[in-house]
Amino acid sequence: MSRHRYFKDKLFKIMVFVFAMAGVAPLFAIISAIAVNGGKTILSVGPGFFYGLPSSPLSSSPGGIGPALVGSLILMFLSTIIGYPLAFMTAVLAVEFPESVFGRFIDVLVKSLLEIPTILIGVLVYSLLVVPTGSFSAWAGAIALAIVILPYIYTHVENSLRSIPADIRLASYSLGLSRAKSIFYVFTCEAKRGLLTAMLIGLARASGETAPLLFTIGGNWFTYFQGLGKPIGAVPLLIYTYTLTPYTNYHEAAWGASLVLLMVYLSLFAVFRRFSKP
Amino acid sequence: MITIWMHRRRILSLTLFLVLALIISLTTPSLIAGNKETIHIRGSGSTFLQLQLMAWITIFHKVRPSITIEYNGVGSGAGQQQFFEHLTDFCGSDPPLSHKTWLEHKGRILQLPIVLGAVAVVYNIPELKSHRLRLDGKVLSMIYLGEIIYWDNYYIKRLNPGISNLLPHAKIIVVHRSDSSGTTEIFTYYLHRSSDGLWPKRLVGKDIEWPVDRTGRGLGGKGNAGVVSIVKNTPYSIGYVELSYALRYGLDVALLRNRAGYYIEPNTTTIIAAGENAARTGLLPISPTGDFSKELEAIVYSPGRLSYPITCFTHIIIWAKYPPHKAEAIRDFLSWIISSGDKHILPGYAPLPGPVKGIIIRAIELMKSGG
Repeated sequence: MSRHRYFKDKLFKIMVFVFAMAGVAPLFAIISAIAVNGGKTILSVGPGFFYGLPSSPLSSSPGGIGPALVGSLILMFLSTIIGYPLAFMTAVLAVEFPESVFGRFIDVLVKSLLEIPTILIGVLVYSLLVVPTGSFSAWAGAIALAIVILPYIYTHVENSLRSIPADIRLASYSLGLSRAKSIFYVFTCEAKRGLLTAMLIGLARASGETAPLLFTIGGNWFTYFQGLGKPIGAVPLLIYTYTLTPYTNYHEAAWGASLVLLMVYLSLFAVFRRFSKP
Repeated sequence: MITIWMHRRRILSLTLFLVLALIISLTTPSLIAGNKETIHIRGSGSTFLQLQLMAWITIFHKVRPSITIEYNGVGSGAGQQQFFEHLTDFCGSDPPLSHKTWLEHKGRILQLPIVLGAVAVVYNIPELKSHRLRLDGKVLSMIYLGEIIYWDNYYIKRLNPGISNLLPHAKIIVVHRSDSSGTTEIFTYYLHRSSDGLWPKRLVGKDIEWPVDRTGRGLGGKGNAGVVSIVKNTPYSIGYVELSYALRYGLDVALLRNRAGYYIEPNTTTIIAAGENAARTGLLPISPTGDFSKELEAIVYSPGRLSYPITCFTHIIIWAKYPPHKAEAIRDFLSWIISSGDKHILPGYAPLPGPVKGIIIRAIELMKSGG
């Protein structure tokens, strides 16, 4: 009998392991495909891939992604700088003031932002900002991205604020700290890991979005950064355009650009891990 | 309190790092860009034109580094909208402006056919090997209406007497675009024009309800790439794609019966012939200020022995007047396309025939005289 139970237990453990592996296998498949194909491109082009300009479809060289890469980095940081404080304060409202009417609805409202197709956010910013100002701009792209990443950051911030143990809250208040001080000095430190992860999630989402940029940034292929009020390039837009073409050198460039995005993300991840060590 | 201070310091240094990163990424590129004399010209629109423009711009950029041309493929419709909102300096559009839009902006805009393209009918019938399938508008219409079910149908055999015994008794898998597309519009327009009304006018458009889908043999592919991959991987399928995709992925391309009754393969010669014969119909204006809205009627299923029937122009639409430095830059680019553009045409695209090039030359003259 005990033998029987022993095998059942083993079987269960094996099943857990197999299913877990099957769950993460696609992720590893994607990462390895990007690393292998993108690596080939970057090695063949050399460092010029990072700062060079695109090549012709008639050429055999994948060319460079310089203007798009610079544009993407700027858009990532700018959108997080705009989106993070908004998401943070919204989360504070929802968690710390749950009894207020607004606090009760804000959670549903922000989370419903997740369901809006991101292209619509791009079109909204296009009609509210791009058309009135008469120009595509980095600002417009960053604001569209900020709206897209807001619910993601919000969800993570909200979760980490909610997970603060009640005794720490009570301890903080019993020291005589005001609500604002409790939030900024005690709760943020307690939930630091979650708050940093939220920032990372925001940056990562901002780095990979294409749809909100289609009608907002204009897109630059040959022009480097000229100012926040001017059109700008972005890597996802370049990947999107290149993959839809029939040309091999553009497909190679798209793989390389994907690897660059992945590297940007991983290095950010490493930096954040370093900072969020307890 | 000490631990709180330490946490704050970490958070502080993290913010500092982010701000520094932002400042560095903001300043370095403007240092690299340097040259303030550069003139920037911005356009958007047709994705079909985007690739040919990329080929031209990369070379033109080397010849004239002081002019930078940026173009983004957002689709012809969105391109026109952005152009009329003054967000861009020019737009690329597969169809010319409609008669109504042209009337609205008459005299202030110039329309220039800039390059020719074609839609290829591709198929996957392993039995045919290197033999080429011949089709005409009526049979294609019947296939896309779902009325012809098998490849060894009487009508298909009649068009292919030499290989009629090779045609298999297999059901035809009919592939079309699932997304809204100018390629679909031109293809369905061709079906309508060439089938004596068998293909109804209401089924001409960018995104239509395909009758063949009701028979369960219709399949939609996203983009040209989607149609290519379905046709490539599905034996006994047929589809339509931009010629450049058919060539690049080595699909079998059908010979289509043109108005004069010849079976024509899409290539540079037959595409240019269609353009030339379209110019002879008199439906095309000779000035860039004219109304091009009848153009599709002229070039799709155009007369002439050599004309490939599903050919189309792609256009650049510009204003007649610009600030002087912009006008000069655009003129320079157009002049360069006229003089050197033909040497850098992508496979699947074709340069303009001489008479149509005259429209661009006239536009350059008009811009010189200040509209």
